[in-house]
Amino acid sequence: MSWFVINLLNGVSYGMVLFLIASGMSIVLGAMGITNLAHGAFYMVGAFVGWTVAVKLGATLGLGILAGGLAAGLVGLAMERGLLRHLYKQPNEQVLLTFGFVYILSNVCLWVWGGWPRMPFTAKFLTGSFEIMGRAYPKARIAIILFGLILGVGLWWLQDRTRMGAIVRAGMDDKETTMGLGINLELAFAVIFFISSFIAGAAGVIGAQLLGVRTDLGMEVLLLALIVIIVGGVGSIQGALLGGILIGVIDAFGKALFPQMAMFTMYLTMIIVLIVRPTGLLGRKI
Amino acid sequence: MVVANRRTDKNSIMTTVPYLAGALILAIIPLFLSRYGQGLMTRFLIFALFAMSYNVVFGYAGLLSLGHAAFFGAGGYAVALLKLHYNVDLFWITAPFGLLLATFVAALFGIVALRVTGIYFLLVTFALGQMLYSLAWNVKWLSSKGMQGITGINLPDLGIPGFSLDTTSFYYMVLICFIISCILLYRLVRSPFGLALVGIREDESRMEAVGYNVWLYKYTALVISGAFAGIAGVLFAYYNFFVSPNHLGIATSFLPMVMAIMGGLGTFLGPVIGAAVFIFVETFASIFLPQRWPLILGGLFVLTIMFAREGIGVYLWKIWEKVSHRYGIVEG
Amino acid sequence: MESLRVEGLSKQFGGVQAVNRVTFSVEVGDRVAIIGPNGAGKTTLLNLINGQLAATSGSIHFFGKDVTALPTYKRAHLGQARAFQIISLFQKLTVMDNVLLTLHGTRSSRFKMFRPIEGFTDVHNKAVQTLRTLGLWEKRNEPVSTLAYGEQRRLEIDLGLALEPKLLLLDEPSAGLTKEEGLEIIGVIKGLESSNTVLIVDHDMELVFEVAQRIIVLHYGEIIADGTPDEIESDKRVREIYMGLD
Repeated sequence: MSWFVINLLNGVSYGMVLFLIASGMSIVLGAMGITNLAHGAFYMVGAFVGWTVAVKLGATLGLGILAGGLAAGLVGLAMERGLLRHLYKQPNEQVLLTFGFVYILSNVCLWVWGGWPRMPFTAKFLTGSFEIMGRAYPKARIAIILFGLILGVGLWWLQDRTRMGAIVRAGMDDKETTMGLGINLELAFAVIFFISSFIAGAAGVIGAQLLGVRTDLGMEVLLLALIVIIVGGVGSIQGALLGGILIGVIDAFGKALFPQMAMFTMYLTMIIVLIVRPTGLLGRKI
Repeated sequence: MVVANRRTDKNSIMTTVPYLAGALILAIIPLFLSRYGQGLMTRFLIFALFAMSYNVVFGYAGLLSLGHAAFFGAGGYAVALLKLHYNVDLFWITAPFGLLLATFVAALFGIVALRVTGIYFLLVTFALGQMLYSLAWNVKWLSSKGMQGITGINLPDLGIPGFSLDTTSFYYMVLICFIISCILLYRLVRSPFGLALVGIREDESRMEAVGYNVWLYKYTALVISGAFAGIAGVLFAYYNFFVSPNHLGIATSFLPMVMAIMGGLGTFLGPVIGAAVFIFVETFASIFLPQRWPLILGGLFVLTIMFAREGIGVYLWKIWEKVSHRYGIVEG
Repeated sequence: MESLRVEGLSKQFGGVQAVNRVTFSVEVGDRVAIIGPNGAGKTTLLNLINGQLAATSGSIHFFGKDVTALPTYKRAHLGQARAFQIISLFQKLTVMDNVLLTLHGTRSSRFKMFRPIEGFTDVHNKAVQTLRTLGLWEKRNEPVSTLAYGEQRRLEIDLGLALEPKLLLLDEPSAGLTKEEGLEIIGVIKGLESSNTVLIVDHDMELVFEVAQRIIVLHYGEIIADGTPDEIESDKRVREIYMGLD
């Protein structure tokens, strides 16, 4: 029983990191129609900056998360304003452009921070563990679950209860009309892209506890994000949350039960979802 | 993506001259090159073929795939596995096997990936490619002892008594494979099937309405393209003497995409020119700035998309058209 | 002989009943127009008949064959040709390629892989003939996007006809055209052989009353009137909800 609970907690905490990663990418895809393949690279940039602030400079984890999010947010904003904006209505060019940035950002990080992987880190007050059903369980993982839940509620509120979310939902359905109503879609898009990149960067610092900090994270995290999106469905917070937790839990039990074939449980889930429900579990028709 | 237009009734001399000239140059040039240079030329031809196969899917049919290395790698792994487990070197066995394996992988991928359309196709092909990567990484049978990937591949045995390949003759063997593939691909894109792919790229629903089974065309295009990528993979294994999980995954899938886009999508020779530019830059980067190669590659790619969307090959073609008109090679 | 029979056809989008238990049939050689205010479900109905949308319930028979579940391309093979509301020619492709693609679509040559497209002489000749009749031969190597809007509309309808369809579906053939171009289209439709069966959806009353022998009026997805132009013109309910708005 405790084996089950521990693995479930592992899965849910990993799933929350996956949710953090995928939610931002899913929002941008749903609201702006842009598949941002550099999303994982933003995560990586956030992770490195966060590591510098929280570990190297010895500040708190909170400041690290803020700095990581801000760094990634600014990189994202620069990419959207400087380049992506000019490729409006050209989804192929947009997606390819963002893919070029995976290479650019990964190599820049390698240049600045060097190739050696950083150890996972977390805040001082989160080191140590709770006792759960007679087993020690790291506090940091519980913190990740809480953090994911808070962010999930926040994003859901932003999506369904605010003017911003309404603009996004309207913009998605009919860009011309939204623009005709005098809503500044350009500004809205810039804000959405910044928020999405910020979440990615912050997730890089939060997830560092589980995934560490490496220069190959950009591609790895991208892959995880898109599996979550394919499984959960595009364009909604709920989809990213469901996809993230499902994949996290399946991965945790996969690793526990078939350590040799761990990664395949994820792919298998994805393939089954694609065959049974190509739009993803909570996705709209594409 | 800006894609050049097909012309249905261009003067045949004008289109043939560059092809013949190109073939001639490719046939003569190794005589003036060192073994290193010949190796580079071999690499160029292999990647040009790989990029051309990719062009069928993305350039002609408009399917943005990020998993094309799976077929390339399948061809390569077929060669490597036959060598590793059965010590088979004979080209007439390994090549068909590689071709079949790549085609088979493409046929399976297509069933899953063509469940979705548009950008989602890219996401799914990406993930499927990474699945094979991860398979090759984790399954011991798919690696030489104590490593990730398979070594110990030699130049192929052509089964001709008293003859074994060296760098130069291997180049010519690759050249022959390349030219045969070119002819087949050229016929393909000029056929009704090829034009139908372009129609699908432009407007799927109209194609359905005038009587085309769009899914079947996409699927067939993907499988055919996978077969040619497989041939490139077979040749690559012999060129490289080593295959690794990377040759199945995203790092390799990115290459034909870069080449096809840089050279000119949806044009027949664009990917070849893209491959030439790519190998050229790669070679210089590997000498002078090996650490910064991904940065250069990414930067070049971004610049192409922002500023040279038609591709370098299309610009060259336009220059050729001007020249050929001015000197009266053809009537305008 | 019956060409098309639609029975109890319905289509629901979420909670919206776009087409509601529509029943009618069309005889070979009929010229039938479907009219109705915006949002009456006209284009949806055409999409159901041609297979772009799947019906929620009801059935469609085409020359006695149940086509309700057939994909669009198979309906094309059975003899349905369609011109879309928004011109759907391949804008970036040349005029010639547009013609060739359309002509090959219902022929078995469409899947041939190793013969150049020019090598299919009968199709090629037919394409040349089509272009010459339309006066577009000189522009055969220009992208379609360079043609005038009226020329494009004309080309699209003529391509539909070049397939020698058993049923021609026209979705607002005169939309966006000038008065003269509209008249030309009317001429084209009137000039069709009497064996051609045509189903037109349009707002343009002049065109509809000019070419149709029979008019079906849709309102909120339901048929509220079905008769000759004279009958429709004098129908009180139609005048109320439709003509009144015009």
